[in-house]
Amino acid sequence: MTAALDLMRTHAALLPLIIAMVGAALAMLCPPRLSWGLATIAALLCAFVTADTTVRVLIAAAPLWSVAEGVPLLADGIGLFASPLMAAVAALALAASGAVLSDIERRTWPLAMALVLCQLFGWLGALAARDLAGVFVAIETAWLASVALLAFSDGRTALGGALRMLGAGGVGSALFLCGVGIFYRSVGTLELSAIATAHIESADAAALGAGLMLLGVALKAGVAPLHDWMGGAFTRPGGPAALVLGTVGVIGALAVIVRLAGYVATSPTIGEGVSIALAVLGGASVVIGSVQAVGAHNLTRLAAYAGAAQAGGILLCVALGSPAGFAAALVQLTALAAAALALFGGAAAGGVQSLEHLDGLGRRAPLAGAAIMSGAISLMGAPLTLGFLGRWRLVEAGVGAGWWWAAGAVIFASLAGVFYGGRLIERLYFRRAGDLFHGPNDAWRWALAPMLAASIVAIAFGVSPALLLTAADSAGALMLGGLP
Amino acid sequence: MGPEILLTRAIFAAALVLLMCGAVAAWASNNAIRRLAGIALSMLGAILGLGALGAPNALLIAAACAVFVQLAIGAAVTVRLQEDYGAIEAPETDQADRQDDMPGRAP
Repeated sequence: MTAALDLMRTHAALLPLIIAMVGAALAMLCPPRLSWGLATIAALLCAFVTADTTVRVLIAAAPLWSVAEGVPLLADGIGLFASPLMAAVAALALAASGAVLSDIERRTWPLAMALVLCQLFGWLGALAARDLAGVFVAIETAWLASVALLAFSDGRTALGGALRMLGAGGVGSALFLCGVGIFYRSVGTLELSAIATAHIESADAAALGAGLMLLGVALKAGVAPLHDWMGGAFTRPGGPAALVLGTVGVIGALAVIVRLAGYVATSPTIGEGVSIALAVLGGASVVIGSVQAVGAHNLTRLAAYAGAAQAGGILLCVALGSPAGFAAALVQLTALAAAALALFGGAAAGGVQSLEHLDGLGRRAPLAGAAIMSGAISLMGAPLTLGFLGRWRLVEAGVGAGWWWAAGAVIFASLAGVFYGGRLIERLYFRRAGDLFHGPNDAWRWALAPMLAASIVAIAFGVSPALLLTAADSAGALMLGGLP
Repeated sequence: MGPEILLTRAIFAAALVLLMCGAVAAWASNNAIRRLAGIALSMLGAILGLGALGAPNALLIAAACAVFVQLAIGAAVTVRLQEDYGAIEAPETDQADRQDDMPGRAP
């Protein structure tokens, strides 16, 4: 057992990627319901392997290992923090999708499960890739798997959304490639670890290249105002595609932005230009996402727009370019993941499309109601929740750097959160049920329970956040070359 | 400024124009085929730009593979749009979806 654990730890960087890929291949070959079980187990294994490394390095302060020679992977603080988060979110989303798989044709279940694991593979790969070419390939794998999942799994209404996603993603890929080309011309390397020490010929061109790369990924993360594709992608209430895209897809893309920014925004030569671009995009995303969430009439779209507002907060943290800023970004990322699991899981459990479907849901489906409520109060930034913790860390880091306006953006996001979150809670608990229950009614509906329960527990983590804060602080310090 | 640098800059400028034209079509076009053509054009511009800037071959190959997969998925989605809706224009498919959502109609 110990020997197996040692072997696993020796190849800790590569193992989750192999598990996800082999799991995807096996899921394709299995009968429909077995493919769901196998994919969930593969994602859980990925979560276990990545969490083991994270706990050892970021919490127990073990030295950061080097990846075996010849494997183009690179372990860093943000990758170590975000990988288990991604894998855990994917495992919960995969488990929950068992309740809503009946929404799609039975013969396509194995393909859908394989595509979810391909997404996980892609985002984990982008969080561990050693160079920008590897990051590009990994992001494309994850993104195209998301598009294919949406196109295959949610009936004909999702086809238009899939095409919009494909178009927006194509533009994002082109911008990313263009940015990589300009960056390579100025910096002379694609290796992420060499950026800090590279001799940069033209700082302006390198900053432009870095900005285009981040813009390309921001487009896929649904950062406002580049989130035009979201309206089409989140048309259905709780199909497997919306469930996975709203959780795994968005969190993965945001984690990759934080990681890339960790290399380019901290470079002494180009950091300032990149920080300004990130701050502008982040501020715009907070305002636009919040306003759109206030006006949304569909729960999954509301969750997606609220996510865009939260993503803006993450970009603001990252723009600070300090260890405290990166730690705050990682706490916010965790808070967003928990809120997304709660809202998308709740929408799937209650079959909620328009907000009218929420009326009285708290009494008809108590767990789904509690999950949506906890997601809503976390998005408001209510004290003792993970959402509050993320915003508080942003205010601390922002004020520490003299960015008082960032505190203003946080207050704006919280005020908007009170409007749209309050509306959800009022409908859940203070209205009479006016319609039939639309959610899944068979025994498989219990597959959603782990996701809903985990999201409530994660949001309540704000009461005792010491472990999370230690890991986030270590990741931020490690990213900028300090000791964990 | 030598002719080589001039040529590089001219190719990069042409690549940027291709990328921008393609991006507009991929983002804003209502027609699925035009959207796919926009993706192809913008990625072609990006690859041309990478070539002009002297990017490593591995990146060029990865970019070419990405275009191929994007277009393959896009073609599959377009065929399904035509089969399911009898149209590939976004306003027509959106109209059909709105009719499906009307009370009393099966989705």
